[in-house]
Amino acid sequence: MTSPDAVSPVGVSLGGATIPRQSGVLAPTAPAGTSPARPRRAASRRARRIAGAVGRHTLLLAAVAVMVLPVLWALAASFKTPGGIFDENPLPMSPTLENYRVATGAFPVWRLLLNTAAMAAGVTLLQLLIAVPAAYALVRFPPRAHRVLTALIVITLLVPPQSLIIPLFLMISHLGWRNTYPGLVLPQLYGTGLAVILLRDHVRAVPPTVLGAAVLDGARPGEVLRLVLLPLLRPALGAVSILLFITSWNEYLWPSLAAPDIDHASIQPGLAFFLTQEGPEYGPLLAGSMLATLPIVAVYLVASRRVTDAFMHSGIR
Amino acid sequence: MTVSTLEAGERGAAHAPPGARARARPWLYLSPLVVALLVWVYGPLVFTAVLSFMSWNLTDTHLSWLGTANYARLVDGRDFPRAARNTLVFAAVLLPFATVVPMSLAIALWKRPGRVSSVYRALLFLPVVLAPVAMAITWQFLLDPLSGLVNVITGRLGLGTHNWLGDPATALYAVGFITAAKVVALNVLLFGASLASLDRGLLEAAALDGATEWEITRHLVLPHLRRTIVLLGMLSLVVVWPWIFANVAVLTQGGPDGATDNVYYRLFTYAFTFFDAGTASAAAVFITTALAVVLGIGLLLTGRRRRDFA
Repeated sequence: MTSPDAVSPVGVSLGGATIPRQSGVLAPTAPAGTSPARPRRAASRRARRIAGAVGRHTLLLAAVAVMVLPVLWALAASFKTPGGIFDENPLPMSPTLENYRVATGAFPVWRLLLNTAAMAAGVTLLQLLIAVPAAYALVRFPPRAHRVLTALIVITLLVPPQSLIIPLFLMISHLGWRNTYPGLVLPQLYGTGLAVILLRDHVRAVPPTVLGAAVLDGARPGEVLRLVLLPLLRPALGAVSILLFITSWNEYLWPSLAAPDIDHASIQPGLAFFLTQEGPEYGPLLAGSMLATLPIVAVYLVASRRVTDAFMHSGIR
Repeated sequence: MTVSTLEAGERGAAHAPPGARARARPWLYLSPLVVALLVWVYGPLVFTAVLSFMSWNLTDTHLSWLGTANYARLVDGRDFPRAARNTLVFAAVLLPFATVVPMSLAIALWKRPGRVSSVYRALLFLPVVLAPVAMAITWQFLLDPLSGLVNVITGRLGLGTHNWLGDPATALYAVGFITAAKVVALNVLLFGASLASLDRGLLEAAALDGATEWEITRHLVLPHLRRTIVLLGMLSLVVVWPWIFANVAVLTQGGPDGATDNVYYRLFTYAFTFFDAGTASAAAVFITTALAVVLGIGLLLTGRRRRDFA
């Protein structure tokens, strides 16, 4: 993230605590169904309802337009010819892959994408390996200790990564880890707290009787974790790992320091490098940008419902 | 699970003092996290604090004790106070996009749940996912001073064209608005999470009693969200900087004429342009302390000193 990029330190238990939580991963509780239609009311009421629906969709569509259209515009432009890149017609009239050819020729896009995927996968895996046992342990502490430990974890999410980079940079340089995967991946463990916080409430939502029954059957804590809890957590783990992967993929600050060498770089600093090298040659730049974005958007779209649900039903409120 | 492990488990359970075992285990499972956070967060934080009292050029190994001279230099200089002012302006620009805007969208989504709202929600979260450097490049293209889309539109509207990122008067706002999409996207979801804990039965009762949509929103929904507004407003001020940082690093490098410089970018400049670890560390301590104060005040305001982390 973060730089806790994408989805960084989002703290915990925001908002009202007055009404008991009614959710949990295990039973995804997207509020079901719309409110029942109430027929045969005054016509004015129906008119007002229609007006409300129009207003609501106008608001939402406008927001989607402002937030998503720029990307679509750039995506379309990446297929335009160099001369027509500023055409006011959003659609490329004579679509060409020329920009993509230039981009992949001018800087090692595929290499960078591979580096980035490996980095993000490594960060995700390590964070989960640490966070799952931690979340399991956290809910078993007595309330006071639980509160103190949670606070100490949340603080790590609120610390701006910029205030850590100097020691981290010195550490990595000293170990000779610049331009290596350990140097790229390990310091990003500073964001592990997010995974713990996101998973904590999912662990808590597992009925104690389920775990208790396993213990009564003689399972040791390790077995409870592996054989009982992990399968129950699978949906949540899917969503959380996607979030962690996206976050690491979009990391800009740390990779730019840890792996400045273009062959070992990740895609974000790589693109920035390409920009300084290429100048305002928009065609190839936009093509490179789309190549950097599309894989991660694909990952997100495949599981968007789960990702948004992971937020909706975690303790973040 | 084999029979033998089952038996071993039973024997263990029978003989070990149960209380001691239950207490010892959580620490075992927590220890990897403790190590990771000590090595990658708390340790570096302490190291930064110590460095802020030292003079250290990153390119050599000479270290010397300076006392508070680094801090004095920050406060007396021209750059850091300007960066601090810009940081506050960034925060002010982004505040509505962290609170009112995503809240309205989240309420609109929440009022009529269902498939359509899910699609909207997925699309509205998309900016969080988009690669930051790619987005910066996209906006550089759209804001191109001569023929970018934004200038085409303003030209058509008779407002003329403008070098949004190149003019010190507009550069900060341009970067702010570019970053706003990500803040809105994240907070729509988080406001939604808060709304999910609001009892729908209550609202249906109010509707049966003849309350209008607006009255329901005004008297039931907004009061429920009051704390969330304050907390998200504050938290956004924490999460937004890496996004602003990427936009500034790619689009303006703090310019033009320092207009988009902010404390985070200044810290980075001290450390990795001037290799002045001491001054950069002093800036880091300053930023972290200021954030802690802001968050502390916010927690007091929402009146949940002990409950917030539970």
